[in-house]
Amino acid sequence: MFSRMALIICNECDTLQKASSLPPGTNAQCSCCSSILYTNRPGGLDTPLALMTSSLVLFLLANLFPLLTLEIQGLSQTTTITGAALALFREEMELLALVVWITSVLLPGVIISSAVYVLLALRLSLNLPALRQLLLAISHIQPWGMMDVFMLGVLVALVKLSDTADILPGPGILAFGALVVLFAMAMSRLDIRQMWNRLDVIA
Amino acid sequence: MNVRVHSAADLGFIGCHVCRLVMRSASGKQRCPLCKSLIHVRKPNSLSRTWALLLTAMFFYIPANSLPVMTTSYFGTTSTDTIMSGVVYFLINGDWPLALVIFVASVVIPLLKISALSYLLISVHRGSVIRPRERTRLYRITEFIGRWSMVDVFVVAILTALVHMGALVEVKPGWGATAFAGVVILTMVAARTFDPRLIWDRQKTLGSIVPPGHGSTATS
Repeated sequence: MFSRMALIICNECDTLQKASSLPPGTNAQCSCCSSILYTNRPGGLDTPLALMTSSLVLFLLANLFPLLTLEIQGLSQTTTITGAALALFREEMELLALVVWITSVLLPGVIISSAVYVLLALRLSLNLPALRQLLLAISHIQPWGMMDVFMLGVLVALVKLSDTADILPGPGILAFGALVVLFAMAMSRLDIRQMWNRLDVIA
Repeated sequence: MNVRVHSAADLGFIGCHVCRLVMRSASGKQRCPLCKSLIHVRKPNSLSRTWALLLTAMFFYIPANSLPVMTTSYFGTTSTDTIMSGVVYFLINGDWPLALVIFVASVVIPLLKISALSYLLISVHRGSVIRPRERTRLYRITEFIGRWSMVDVFVVAILTALVHMGALVEVKPGWGATAFAGVVILTMVAARTFDPRLIWDRQKTLGSIVPPGHGSTATS
């Protein structure tokens, strides 16, 4: 029986190749189609755990506090991230409201909290319930979390409104901006392949 | 010259897409012993599923661009915006960087995704053996950039929430936005159902030997 980590198959061209250990901070590319096969991320589990925990705190702040306030001739209107989805719901665009809420709040929330839970369990070698299901969930829903795209949408909306109205940034936008950066860093440090092998050891 | 080195399927191996475990392929339905995902030698019915999703996306692309994405009322004047007029707005106002961002996200990326996936599907159907590396890269880019098209939908949501001050000043979302979100989601799923290994399955028919320097795992 060969070691579990000794071989790798490219997901994009199906080339079977040897997986040797890498220096930290580098990645292995497929010898056939040059897609990235696996990476050696420095910092082990601690770095992504720290980044994900910070992301979780920022996620709560970004969702609890107002994002922006708009003032036009004495009238003002405030929104949160969920408020943007609720506004579509109010205008009877239920389907669109769901798409916006799921991609900007629900799925990012599921990814961040699952990642903290799984990383913590792996770090402390605790065989907690539902580790496998949550790690699967992270792998599958990752592209559907769109906080970064939402942030770009906020910036575009800001520029659109800046001619006709005064916009006051709320505390939520600071938390959200920091969240987008920290979450991207956290995801880039997450080594899903290593996490599965670690899970296999403790489970 | 790009020739297949060792196709795992030909050697009797199968890899899990989720946890990347490599194992011997068995007959019938197979589950990964590590993460319990269903594993397949190739994604099931990849071509017909991708075609179905892609054609639906093309169909939705028409209302996505012709129906208004939002209607703005501002002290008595009402204007409707489509995806294109949103891009034009930034061009007229001289916001070049933003016009470019919106143009790329709302026009270039959806069209690129639809045409890239169509090209990849047709090339696989025709059994093309040319430029498999470049076609794989095209697939990778298509899969990676797709989500950014959603930006316009978020802009509509944020504007609807903020510009809501009675009937005098308000933004109302239009059905174009829903259709556009449909295009983004359908093309994202289509990119996921397409199996890029089909691009390479034709390469082995060349029957060539491994070229020098292509046998080892390169690191960068």
